[in-house]
Amino acid sequence: MTMLKELATEFIGMFVGDARLTLAILALIGGAAILVEFAGTPKLVGGGFLLFGALALLIESVRRSARAAQR
Amino acid sequence: MEPMSLSWSMAAPAIGAAFAASLVEVVEAFTIVLAVATLRGWRPATLGTAAGLASLAGGVILLGPLLERVPLHALQLTIGVLLLLFGMGWLRKASLRAAGIIPLHDEDAIFAAEAAELDATARRQLNRQDWIAGMTAFKAVVLEGLEVVFIVIAVGAGRGLLVPAGIGALAACAVVLLIGAAVHRPLSRVPENSLKFGVGVMLSAFGVYWTGEGLGIAWPGQDLALFVFAALFLSAGLLSTAIARRPMVEVLS
Repeated sequence: MTMLKELATEFIGMFVGDARLTLAILALIGGAAILVEFAGTPKLVGGGFLLFGALALLIESVRRSARAAQR
Repeated sequence: MEPMSLSWSMAAPAIGAAFAASLVEVVEAFTIVLAVATLRGWRPATLGTAAGLASLAGGVILLGPLLERVPLHALQLTIGVLLLLFGMGWLRKASLRAAGIIPLHDEDAIFAAEAAELDATARRQLNRQDWIAGMTAFKAVVLEGLEVVFIVIAVGAGRGLLVPAGIGALAACAVVLLIGAAVHRPLSRVPENSLKFGVGVMLSAFGVYWTGEGLGIAWPGQDLALFVFAALFLSAGLLSTAIARRPMVEVLS
């Protein structure tokens, strides 16, 4: 049972290293899906939103973690 | 599922990502198995490793055929989202490690810590030493192997590249085992953080690509867009590292 618990924790930990980053990525994907599926925006605009949003989230997440560690 | 053709512009990054990611994970598992072997002999280490590999293979054989039943767009979207979460997590950690914010993975220290913990546990339960040693090896193989299996499925399933990605992972296992057998000590000189940085870049690029495809976005240049995405994630990762380093330099000066 302990082993299964450890496996489950490890598996979830693979995708949720930093909860704020995880939530932000899911929100970004949701936003891109809304743009593409419901807002009538050209699909490539939704793609650009997804790509550049992900890049911005990465930089912001590293910057935030670095500042928190140095406080 | 729709028929898929093998594209080398997609296969090369898939094989490369599977190889590099597997190399990192296999090195980590090897360190623990070696600690078990050094302390309790090769028998429990080999049995634990074999049981771990058999469990992983069993899981893949049982769950693998289910992938065939999932519609391609749903599969690409699911894997794309998981790859984005996994890849950006690796890239974030690798950037923070490269900037010196969190310590680098030290295989020698992990080897020493694992050996000490195993020794202490075994002393407390004298009659179960080999069992505990075998379970330690088993756990290391299953936990690290789980990540390898996910990466192979994630980079391979969306385009029918499971076999090339699997070959990349097996090649990594062979490299680690051959070098490990030759040097007989933890592989502490593997540039683990650089590999993790590179894998994070590739997995994030795959993540954006397949999430987009799952949403019905036709990327310009098709598969070649992957290389552009990888270049952008590499730049963002390097920029993040530079930004994370800057406040520290200011504090020190």
